[in-house]
Amino acid sequence: MSMLSVQDLDVRYGQFRAVRSVSFDIVKGEIVALVGANGAGKTTMLRALAGANRVHGGAIRLNGVDITHTLSHLRVAAGLALVPEGRKLFLDMTIEENLLLGRTVGRPGVWTVDKVFETFPNLVKRRHALTGTMSGGEQQATAIGRALMSNPEVLILDEVSLGLSPLVVDQVYASLDNLLTMGTTIILVEQDLTRAMAVADRVICMLEGRILLDRAMEQTDRAEITQAYFGQGYSAVGEPA
Amino acid sequence: MINILIQATLLGGYYALIACGLAFMFQVMRVINLAHGSLAIVSAYLVWVVSDTFGLSPFVALLAIIPVMGLAGWLLQRLVLERAVKGGELLPVLSTFGLAIVLDNLLFQQFGANTRSLSPYVGDLSWEAFELPGNIYVGKLPVYILIAAIVIIGALDLLLKKTALGRQIRATAADPVTAGLVGVDARRAAGVAAALATMTVAVSGVALGLRGTFDAYAGAPQLLFAFEATIIGGARSLWGVLGGAIILAVAQSLGAQIHPQGFLLGGHIAFLMFLFFRIWRSGKGSILAAFLPAALRKGDAQ
Repeated sequence: MSMLSVQDLDVRYGQFRAVRSVSFDIVKGEIVALVGANGAGKTTMLRALAGANRVHGGAIRLNGVDITHTLSHLRVAAGLALVPEGRKLFLDMTIEENLLLGRTVGRPGVWTVDKVFETFPNLVKRRHALTGTMSGGEQQATAIGRALMSNPEVLILDEVSLGLSPLVVDQVYASLDNLLTMGTTIILVEQDLTRAMAVADRVICMLEGRILLDRAMEQTDRAEITQAYFGQGYSAVGEPA
Repeated sequence: MINILIQATLLGGYYALIACGLAFMFQVMRVINLAHGSLAIVSAYLVWVVSDTFGLSPFVALLAIIPVMGLAGWLLQRLVLERAVKGGELLPVLSTFGLAIVLDNLLFQQFGANTRSLSPYVGDLSWEAFELPGNIYVGKLPVYILIAAIVIIGALDLLLKKTALGRQIRATAADPVTAGLVGVDARRAAGVAAALATMTVAVSGVALGLRGTFDAYAGAPQLLFAFEATIIGGARSLWGVLGGAIILAVAQSLGAQIHPQGFLLGGHIAFLMFLFFRIWRSGKGSILAAFLPAALRKGDAQ
């Protein structure tokens, strides 16, 4: 059975259709890379999955349960966690306080504050530092750790490496390796195609609110993904909303 | 002179007590609740009714009224503030101002123009005093009120900093959407915060009734003192509000020394000096910006 099922999802900002009839199913343990240009609707869709954006039409099911109109904190309790774009840490709180907030819903599981510090050793010495004073890499690690604290079954990582230096991105992925082998279902947005192809089992490419390409990683190649990224050879693009 | 300062500090304790609920709502929920003073009068009347009807001590009656006021605060958040904050910075101010007018006039309709006091129900406590060296007498009641203010501010401060509920309230204040994304029930956290604030209002209403008299329209001056103490204190920490309340009371007492009618004027001058100093130092146009650290403003979690 699919872990996360999205059917004909429609998300709008007023008249503007940011996400248009998007459908896909993700099975347990799958790692999906979501790619697409800026403005393709990736972040809007992911925020709709997490409950931060209102759904205009369609349905979202988690483990077979309809969560289309469930409040976001109840989706976290149901096992879906989002690491939002831009990290969205609470800057006047320490790393530890941010992590403890992630524990609010109290889902049982392996993740504890200590386990997060084990996974992201670069955070240990900053445990009681205000997150506002930290580097981008430390902030990203804290944001991921905060989402993990809810012991999610589906973890959504929006723009893991945005604004981070290549060296720090390596560090974040090195710590993620551990996580990727734990059987958690993951959707991640990654602009670096090489990295996305190395990490994920499957790629979904969006353009102008639609899915143009949805394929297992071994059945596709860089050229096909790049074509979909720019919409070359796809007739459906650009029709009126 | 020492006597004046001691008495002013004790008066400051009362101001801190009425200000801490207002400051809590302002700091935590980013809402200036102009119905704050009227809610204090409502709770004073409620305690008076219970004491008068059942012949109970106001302190016992207060125990019954605190949960009632907590519920009122929760309803205020759910029915009024939650909707008002969606309309921008000004709408909560206007809607709570309207609510204050409604409450004042409902009280006037119900209880008339007579002034009331809770002091008849506490016997000798209203005039008993501690004697300090140097022939200084301090009233027991003002001392208890100052202690109550310190205990309440300390408890709220600990709650915000050390408990899971406090973290949830702070997260909701900083960014309700992101709070939801990490699993915090933002509506519940906001409701609990409002309930806590109005529970402190209940205590301050009793303090007002014990110190002197009140009538249906006594809410506005209480709101003004609370607001002045909050602004002087800097509206960043609750302990700052205690300091602000004492500064306000000292300024008022010094004003009264200079001229018999200088009591209120002294307080207002101190308030305006702090206000303009803060605005000048922040160099920004928005008054709100002058009082909130950048990282705490709404939508700024990042």
